[in-house]
Amino acid sequence: MKIDSSLPLEYSTEENRLKIFGFWIFLGAEIVLFATLFTVYFTLQTRTGSGPNGAEIFELTPVLWETFLLLTSSFTIGLGVHAMRIGNKKAMMAFFIITLLLGLGFLGIEIDEFVTYVEEGATIQTSAFLSALMTLLGTHGLHVTFGFFWGVAILIQVASRGLNPQTANKAFIFSLYWHFLDVVWIFIFSFVYLKGLIS
Amino acid sequence: MKDLFPKQHVMGFGFSLLLTLVALAVIKFDMSYNMAFGVLLVTALAQATVQLVLFMHIGESEDKKTLYTTILYSVFVGVVTIIGTLFAMIWGYN
Repeated sequence: MKIDSSLPLEYSTEENRLKIFGFWIFLGAEIVLFATLFTVYFTLQTRTGSGPNGAEIFELTPVLWETFLLLTSSFTIGLGVHAMRIGNKKAMMAFFIITLLLGLGFLGIEIDEFVTYVEEGATIQTSAFLSALMTLLGTHGLHVTFGFFWGVAILIQVASRGLNPQTANKAFIFSLYWHFLDVVWIFIFSFVYLKGLIS
Repeated sequence: MKDLFPKQHVMGFGFSLLLTLVALAVIKFDMSYNMAFGVLLVTALAQATVQLVLFMHIGESEDKKTLYTTILYSVFVGVVTIIGTLFAMIWGYN
């Protein structure tokens, strides 16, 4: 294995470079996946049947907290990758742990939001609007949940094996995934919640 | 401690918080639906760009041309799916 020490660890071998490249291709597929879910939501948005519409169930405060937690977690994982590049394993792990805790906070609020909807009688079976909404939010939430466990696994590997081309590559790819989830959330925040609250 | 907080990242974070506040203006102030939609579109796209460029370092790898093409192509497919479906199912053709 040829290691190019002029590059950051995560890019240092041909295999590492290709893995990062491949992950970007996967993110391209994820963009299309979420685009189809947004399509369904925009199409069925007005089909509320006898159930509530967006303006009636959306609450701004928890949504703002979710946005703030996810934006901050995206920032802290960016700092984690930076710490990894300057070879500071301790700081890198600390930033990754903060990131995952913020992710858990986000999930907690989202689960509470779903429970509130169901208590208000807005279940996934109530109307086409709610089915589309919960599929979109649920798919994003599932990605965050999966990301949490993925992040924990990477932390365990970094703790036991240290920073080497393999673990650094895995951690960097995980950071791409986490940033991507934040991008998806921004679109949900803008075009589901804020747009739902104005119309 | 200071070298753990690179300026670029801190600025990116500040910028994304600012964009969130700007997006909030659509519900705090009275404005037309088209205007509000425009504000949301601009702030969301700016947020996505901040993430891609400042945090995900899309431009730093030697594959960057292919990466930009892949992401732009995916966005294109996504936009065609959304606009095409709305055109066929909601807006109609007159």
